[in-house]
Amino acid sequence: MRDRPFIVLYLLAATAGLFFASFSTFDFVQHLDRQVHSIHCSFVPGLAEPDLASSSGCQVTMMSPYSSLLRKHIWGGLPISLPAMAVFAFLLYRGIDVLGRQGRDRRAAAGFLAIASVIPVAASIVMGYIAMAKLDAACKLCIGIYVASAACLLFSLLAWRSASADEMLTSDAGQHEHQDGNGGLVAGVLQGVAFVVVPVLVYIAVMPNYSGYVGKCGSLTQPKDPYGVMASFGSATRGIPAIEVFDPLCPACKAFEARLEASGLDQKISRKALLFPLDDTCNWMVSSALHPGACTISEAVLCAGGKIDDVVKWAFDHQDAIREAAAKDPQAPARMVTTKFPELESCIGSAEVKSKLNKSLRWAVANHIPVLTPQLYLDGVKLCDEDTDLGLEYTLHRMLQAHAAGTLGKEGRSP
Amino acid sequence: MTSTASRLAMGAACLAFPSILVFSWVASAGERLETAEQTAAAEPQVAVAEAAEEGYCSADLKKILRRVLTSCGLLGSGEVRGCQPVEAKNVATLGGDDFNALFRPLAQRAGIIQFDKDKAELDPGDTNLLNKMFADQRGASYFFVVARSSPEGSVQHNRELSQGRAQAVMSHLRQTFNDPDLDKEVGLLWLGEEFAQLDQEFCQWQRSGLGECSEKELNRSAFVAWIDCRL
Repeated sequence: MRDRPFIVLYLLAATAGLFFASFSTFDFVQHLDRQVHSIHCSFVPGLAEPDLASSSGCQVTMMSPYSSLLRKHIWGGLPISLPAMAVFAFLLYRGIDVLGRQGRDRRAAAGFLAIASVIPVAASIVMGYIAMAKLDAACKLCIGIYVASAACLLFSLLAWRSASADEMLTSDAGQHEHQDGNGGLVAGVLQGVAFVVVPVLVYIAVMPNYSGYVGKCGSLTQPKDPYGVMASFGSATRGIPAIEVFDPLCPACKAFEARLEASGLDQKISRKALLFPLDDTCNWMVSSALHPGACTISEAVLCAGGKIDDVVKWAFDHQDAIREAAAKDPQAPARMVTTKFPELESCIGSAEVKSKLNKSLRWAVANHIPVLTPQLYLDGVKLCDEDTDLGLEYTLHRMLQAHAAGTLGKEGRSP
Repeated sequence: MTSTASRLAMGAACLAFPSILVFSWVASAGERLETAEQTAAAEPQVAVAEAAEEGYCSADLKKILRRVLTSCGLLGSGEVRGCQPVEAKNVATLGGDDFNALFRPLAQRAGIIQFDKDKAELDPGDTNLLNKMFADQRGASYFFVVARSSPEGSVQHNRELSQGRAQAVMSHLRQTFNDPDLDKEVGLLWLGEEFAQLDQEFCQWQRSGLGECSEKELNRSAFVAWIDCRL
């Protein structure tokens, strides 16, 4: 029974993994009410205060396209943390089960633990790589899961080695044991599948029906662009016409763009940009500069012509630096953008582009749209604000289907 | 058997744990969603994009502006007709000084386009100031042009002269700014020498005239300003 300490440590690691995965799932699930919630982003979730900051690693990770699967089919998708939670519950069960076994059964069960523990480790490696390489975000709950996964694998291997040594001392395992091992492996795999499938089915079965919200958040009353202030952007040019109301220095707009691109649905819509900087330098509808420098960068976008995608991407990539610089020196954004795009120098700040930006804002007034960004209007019908993050793929996919069927926005209400 | 049964019970408990939690969380989110939908109408809505409404837009000011704009053809018909002195005087139901006092809060927003004596043509200095003022629309909905003439010559001549000055401003705006909303935004009043002459105080305002500022020179003018009020 020299493996007992390792099994106990294994159980602690599996419990920790279950704990972190449960908090992560809880954070995701509470967003199914389409509201904004604070989330746990701590190594001691439950003790530390939940976090509402959109920039926290956990928020970035949860709102990223990698946090769930099947997003086109399920509102928000199936959270990755749900199967993780199920797997840790399974590992916990199998760990407890080992304690009740003796001899070669114990060794085989410990061996199965080691094999099963490879699954969360493999998933952790993939998700950790995505977090570092693609999201540049450190999610503490996720790190907790990664560490718990690694600990499970380590202690299961140590337990298996100790159980093997114990068995060598007490008996001579033979062909009979090998056959038992195969049967146990199959049973264990089936158990593991059941542990994942049952909670997933429960999740899907209990989910609210979101189809009633699709295309029901109003439509534009004057979608035409009489002032010629909208500029085509995005890679698709032949899709369904869409107007995106955005602020180039708005973090939510940047995240929206990433989600839209990752979904692939950006290829099905032909977007026009309507600049709506949340900066009181040019926008009388806000009482302060929520995004300092946004007026200047919006002018740059309007000046960009064929380079609009380059300017928008540059602005998204440097949002924090631009906002910080603008807060100290209002002229800084112009210097920054003209350093990168010198050809825009004569245009930024000109009466023409200021008038154009003003007309953009007046288009918003004419349509009585909400003072927030981002907003997407598909052929004049609004994508609900509540569906711009987790529900984006599900809702936009259905809006595209409704558009194809000619039923989009037939029962809409004003925004 | 006992061992198998206990294992099964333990397995069921471990399986039930995530399943029950998930059931509870998702069902709770569903209930909140339903509640939110029911109470959505009672909750404060997100601010909606609207034209500017500055602090000086008092109820009295808006009442007068609305009356002037309606009577002068801007509100309702969507066409610029303009107001003549008698009409302006009647609809404003104010004395000249009180009428001018309405515009005093616009000191930083208004410009006085000064014309040469007995002329209704804009020179480069005039167009520069006019372009600057008109380009700075911000959230304003209406651009007021209030043209006057100094009290030299006949009343009828001055009436026609101030009308010409108002029209000169409008023509320039039409030629310079390709604004499809121009006719819905610009309100013209021409007051001749008969009503609301500007006094010396307005010399401190932005003017296109560079020379001395006398009341006569001040009133050979078109007062232009965006009005940041929702009417």
